[in-house]
Amino acid sequence: MAYNKYRYGPPALKNSVDMQLQSAFSDGNWSTVVRLAAKRFATFKDPYYEAIKVSTEAQLQGTAEKCAVLVHVDELVKSKKTPDIDTLDLYEWACQDFIGYEVDFAETFGPLRARWVKANASSPMAASCLQGCLEQWDLVSAQQIAATLDKTYANTTDRRYMFWNITLTFLLSISPQCTEASRKVYSLLTVRQLQKAADITESSDKLEKTDRGLLTEEEVCLYYRVLLSHGTKEEFLARLKSPKLGAISQLKQGHKLLFCECLDALETWGEWDTIYELCRDALKLGLDGSSTPFFVCDLRIWKKFVAAATEATNTDAALDEVQDVLKQFIELKDTATPMYKKNISLALLETTFRLPSTTINPNHENTALSPKVIQIGLFLDQYYERFAAYDDVKGYVAELGYEEAKTFLEDVLPRITGEDPTKAQQIIIKALECRLRYTLTTCPQTLSPHPTVVEGTDQGKPFQCRVCSNLAKSPCERCLKKLIIDAANAYSQITSDKELLADIPKLDRDPRLDLALVMGNSLLKLSGLRPGLSNFAQSLWQDVQPNILLQALLLLDTQLKVTPNDNGLRLLLVQLYLLFGCASYAHTLWVPLDVKRTIQDALSPLFFDRISSISPGLFQGIRPLMEPLRAYYSQSLRDPSPVRIWDAFSSGSYTSILGMAEYDKKLRTSCTLVMTLVEERRATRLFGGKLDVDIDDHILATDILEDTTLVHETDYGSFPNLESANGPPIQEYIRLGPGPSNERSHLSFLAEQYLDLLTYTPPKDYKPSKPAEAAARDKAYALETLTRIHTSLTDFLHKPATPKLLTPAETNYHTALSLLSALVLTALSLPKSEASVPKLVSQTTQSLKTTLTTLRTGLLSPRSAVPVTTQQAVSSLCDMHSFASVRDIAVAVKLSAAFVLSHHEKETARDKSGKSGLHREVVAEMKALESAASKTLADAKGHVGVLKGVMNESGWLDRLLDVVLGEEDKQLDQLTEKVSEVVDGRGGAEEWAGKVVDSWREGVKGWGLVRFE
Amino acid sequence: MANFRRFRPDDLNKLSKCNLDPLTETYELSFYLQYYAKWPSLFQVAEDENGNIIGYIMGKLESSPDVYKFSEHYLPWHAHITAVTVAPEARRLGIGKLLTEQLEAAGDAANAWFVDLFVRKTNYKAIKFYESMGYSIFRVVKDYYGDHSTDPTQSSEDAYDMRKPLKRDVKKEHIRSDGEKHEVDPTDVW
Repeated sequence: MAYNKYRYGPPALKNSVDMQLQSAFSDGNWSTVVRLAAKRFATFKDPYYEAIKVSTEAQLQGTAEKCAVLVHVDELVKSKKTPDIDTLDLYEWACQDFIGYEVDFAETFGPLRARWVKANASSPMAASCLQGCLEQWDLVSAQQIAATLDKTYANTTDRRYMFWNITLTFLLSISPQCTEASRKVYSLLTVRQLQKAADITESSDKLEKTDRGLLTEEEVCLYYRVLLSHGTKEEFLARLKSPKLGAISQLKQGHKLLFCECLDALETWGEWDTIYELCRDALKLGLDGSSTPFFVCDLRIWKKFVAAATEATNTDAALDEVQDVLKQFIELKDTATPMYKKNISLALLETTFRLPSTTINPNHENTALSPKVIQIGLFLDQYYERFAAYDDVKGYVAELGYEEAKTFLEDVLPRITGEDPTKAQQIIIKALECRLRYTLTTCPQTLSPHPTVVEGTDQGKPFQCRVCSNLAKSPCERCLKKLIIDAANAYSQITSDKELLADIPKLDRDPRLDLALVMGNSLLKLSGLRPGLSNFAQSLWQDVQPNILLQALLLLDTQLKVTPNDNGLRLLLVQLYLLFGCASYAHTLWVPLDVKRTIQDALSPLFFDRISSISPGLFQGIRPLMEPLRAYYSQSLRDPSPVRIWDAFSSGSYTSILGMAEYDKKLRTSCTLVMTLVEERRATRLFGGKLDVDIDDHILATDILEDTTLVHETDYGSFPNLESANGPPIQEYIRLGPGPSNERSHLSFLAEQYLDLLTYTPPKDYKPSKPAEAAARDKAYALETLTRIHTSLTDFLHKPATPKLLTPAETNYHTALSLLSALVLTALSLPKSEASVPKLVSQTTQSLKTTLTTLRTGLLSPRSAVPVTTQQAVSSLCDMHSFASVRDIAVAVKLSAAFVLSHHEKETARDKSGKSGLHREVVAEMKALESAASKTLADAKGHVGVLKGVMNESGWLDRLLDVVLGEEDKQLDQLTEKVSEVVDGRGGAEEWAGKVVDSWREGVKGWGLVRFE
Repeated sequence: MANFRRFRPDDLNKLSKCNLDPLTETYELSFYLQYYAKWPSLFQVAEDENGNIIGYIMGKLESSPDVYKFSEHYLPWHAHITAVTVAPEARRLGIGKLLTEQLEAAGDAANAWFVDLFVRKTNYKAIKFYESMGYSIFRVVKDYYGDHSTDPTQSSEDAYDMRKPLKRDVKKEHIRSDGEKHEVDPTDVW
């Protein structure tokens, strides 16, 4: 990516330059500067003036003038002489548009700056040379400069030079900028340098700033990071326990970073004894006054401490000690802030759950009212009214045995509020109970296996529910229904009680939200929605009970009006509406979340992933839909180096340097970044727009190579997840297709590359002087590109994990592209004179034709089938993603055939001998394919027309409401009745139905603008 | 429920619980990374069990540029709270207080004179919170914010510059009892 150090202006000229030239230069009067500089050079013979002239010429319009500086830079590099620093500045400024393209900084200015620093190591300019190299992320030159500076300033009070050198050597040891052999050398070097520094620290009574030991927290942590990467486990463990550089010693100095970081490494190695000792000693520091009492009293530390005790050689003794330490903290609890009080309470809960049952209940007395149940009760006694109470205990409740859970829900939870609870307290407990009951429906202990085949017939219910004793699937439908009814009753109780309603603003959390979430989630499950349904179903609508799914949507949407600031509910609805094909309404809900700037990388996939295939019309707004995302990446990845990296160097924040380098790498290879590029391009193609550059040449795609592992970091943290850890989280149920992945991102990137090749048109004024040679070159390029794309597409498609990472529509599309790339490759390579065409050609074309036919019949409603039923229409509206793939496959087939046929026509026109061009049979196959694709596209266009017609019919509101809440005159089932009650009946649901129908209409309208040719 | 530790860049992928809250501003990447680069120990987070960030504080240690040394508005070596936020679900547990105290301790360790911060004049809840922690108004920065949090008809809002003296300020020279009467322009704030 181009980097522009001089985006704010050119470098200053030397003070010795005369005023006339100085002012012409500062005014940007380039022609005058060139003339004056040439004159001064002729007079003074000072090469600096020539440098001014050459650099200024690069600002002029002519290509020859612009490029002259490149020759001078090249000469400078080859000369091996020490360059003049001001000349270097001028040349770098002049080359700013070439750096990253024609000029490789690491081959030119980097080595030149390193060479200059070597000769002028004590100059204050040396550090800015290092900065210049770092900002270009030329680690080789930067390391050379840092090594020179370290040597020059060894044993001075500025310790940064030494650690710049070490940090850069380490960065090189993990960088692709040098060879494998060099990386090994650099890794050894870094470890040795830091070992030496560590030894100095250990052996010194008092380390001075001028000593080359490890002094600051950053220096110490850098050492451990390097050890973790390149050192041995033994050395890491030994040093961790050392009196000066050990984790406990660092804690005593108030440095917590090492302690936090080392626990993860130790857990990976299974070093439970060390974890145990460290956690114990760290916690005891707070007790004996060596640190503030709660310095390490984090829940994470407690959990690791308890886990390590259960893994210890002498578990009983270790657990006794855990309880002893915990007891001492409980005694201190009154002096703690609420946060630490809660952490201690949770630590007690954790300990109770991890203790062997023989320890906590040796006589197996009252297994239902067990110490675990009592402990949850005691915790909730203090915290049941708090926002996070459910999240705090959910995991523990899910671990209870069935009898314990039953006792907890029936005997313990109702008593938590005491003898005379307020209405608000009662309702809080009810909401908590409903949420926990829902969670328990996702736990295996509530179901017993039961023979599913009765008298030779499969009942489809392999369990007996231990709660309601009925035969059940997982989860138990009867329990879910009861839960909905109970939650709805509680909800209605609140809405009909003014006193309760008045109390809600005073509560930590609105219980109506919790009850609505229980009802919504239960309805989703009852509808048949299950994880990955959209991964294999043709249409969501055909695999679920639409009325129940719509009830969930209606209920949750109604709740959002009551609690509009709940982001979790909003995100849930955004996903559900996308699943339902209501993208414009999903967008309306998405906008208030104000996902902007830095959080876009992690959150944007929640709305934008696959959006062009769901609702291309959204891209037709006034402001480009994905512009904020693109702007974020353009801004954050503008320079080749990590943002603010020099700040970390100059501040001596060595661990930050490593963290920033790692984060920068991830951001440059983010699946969200690929999604941004691909979705915009797909939308542009859908509307027949022109793309500015090939995806390969896109400035943001510089780091995306075929062997790059693309990173996905979608943030689902705000989703209200009532599921237990025994099953997938809620997002797995409601997301349209699998989440972003390395494989899918690569496949979509390759698809764009393929389409770029097919749609490339040379500039109009491109008239090669030797057409035959140019044609041969073009063909060779096409063959090479096709080979690469086909191989990569096939590789990614055949990875074992890939099928689970794509929707069926995506699998079809990428498979078709893989076939097409192979077909085009064969078609172009096959000599015209060949007696017979390989079977592969006819097999591939047949396969593609079959694919097109299957997709057409499977997805497109017959054009004559107007009017379609509500069910049929909604089924189509919920499955526009699959419909999009039909169009995409047909377009790809058509473009591929056109590409081959155009090549054939060009060759035939160019070479009148008739020897060029393609094989007759290939041409025929391609024409047949083109025709099949055209037919599919015509059908697809017709399908949109049908949908448009259907959506324009009147009575949609009633039709939708009939599906959701039943027909007006008919008796409602109990569930629908309860939902109706919560949403304030049919009247209350009308506004919602209007929004849904409008959104569908808008979606279809957008599809009406798409080109099907 | 919460763990306190230093910020690391991956936390930016776990900010939704804090940053989707309308009261929390989301900045450009360079803003977060500037603090991580320059003052890593003053950028602390509280995370929940699943690694979600439920609170964070961004702070710095600095003094005014030397060029202002003789200005009445010159700020000596001090700690500054740039942002402190706690996710709605984690409020009322003292997380904000703990994060602030950690920053104050870092300020003391760096021998700073005081900790300061800017807060909207209408953010009564925050002002009360800071006052409870020993902060007081040092001056009023007129029209510091380019919008108004509660009145859309207004195009700006004043800020309170609040301070808490640190151990070094034994004589309490860097705080005022009548700070509300001292008004300054945004141009006087560096």
